[in-house]
Amino acid sequence: MTLEFVGRTMDLEKGYWTVFPDLCKGCGLCIEKCPVDCIDWSDVLGAYGTPSVKADNRCIACGICQNICPDCALRLDKKKTKEH
Amino acid sequence: MQLQPAMPRSWRVDTKPHKFCPGCGHGLILKCLGQAVDELGIEDRVVYGCDIGCSLLSWDFFNLDTVQTHHGRTTPVMTGIKRARPELICIAYMGDGGGYSIGVQHLVSSVHRNEKITVVLANNTQYAMTGGQMAPTTLPGQKTETTPYGRDPEVTGFPFQGPEMVSAIAREGAYVARGSISNMRQLTGYLKKALVNQIEGNGFSFVEALSACPTNWRTNASETWSFIDKEMHGHFKTGEFKTPGSGQGEVRADE
Ligand code: SF4
Ligand code: SF4
Repeated sequence: MTLEFVGRTMDLEKGYWTVFPDLCKGCGLCIEKCPVDCIDWSDVLGAYGTPSVKADNRCIACGICQNICPDCALRLDKKKTKEH
Repeated sequence: MQLQPAMPRSWRVDTKPHKFCPGCGHGLILKCLGQAVDELGIEDRVVYGCDIGCSLLSWDFFNLDTVQTHHGRTTPVMTGIKRARPELICIAYMGDGGGYSIGVQHLVSSVHRNEKITVVLANNTQYAMTGGQMAPTTLPGQKTETTPYGRDPEVTGFPFQGPEMVSAIAREGAYVARGSISNMRQLTGYLKKALVNQIEGNGFSFVEALSACPTNWRTNASETWSFIDKEMHGHFKTGEFKTPGSGQGEVRADE
């Protein structure tokens, strides 16, 4: 019984991008839906022993991947833009 | 505690990852349904019923009172609960096999009686749990276990149009819509309206959701999206078919 999930957070320019490998089933739906194509397979294995995903700095923090993941394995926390 | 996954509040965290296959549309439909329940703040009043087929894998999906039954009978079971306890909000969740084929009589009769429940039906164009056989919703030419050369409409008919059928026989007060997992905001909106329609006691509420089954379709992620967006959307129109207050629909005499 897992009540707490351990995320891998990537500190990207526009946001904190977190994948929870214990939830990621490696379906690839997020990779297809990312508008800037910045998600790719990683070396960290997911729930079924298939690769989980990672993102890079091209991420625009739109949150589409978080929305589209059927397993809620992704979470995007947008960084606050600095006030000028 | 570390940063935790952004799941709908009504999801049960301790049963995740859920039992559906990688890339399965059920996870997305139930995410939309969970969000709709959260936004309406009705967790303590909802009874969730799931059917047989892959939809039954959601028996421990939600932090909601849950019943599981078979072959489209989720609709009459929810009807019974609603009649006994009208203050509860009853959701019957099923696939196209249970709702449109084996158990279609239950759907038809409940619509006919205008039962004040909400039926949510996932359409993935085949029987998934038994290995991908042809269902009423299979597209013309689509290959399944039982149509290895593609479905021939001359022999087995065209894809079953569920919301169209339901709206044709539904009474005033019914809500009927078809959404898709490729437009989750719209789908969540439809589910929310379907629940509100039940809460307001207007009548039967029905939402079909176009879903995905990468396992039996044998599709990778990009083929899955293109099958939904190009093939399924070509045969199944999304939108609202009937909303309360829109009348019975006019039957016009020949001019
Ligand atoms: S993060 Fe979600 S959508 Fe992306 S591959 Fe993993 S399970 Fe699929
Ligand atoms: S937030 Fe948007 S841009 Fe960033 S990885 Fe997700 S889908 Fe791609």
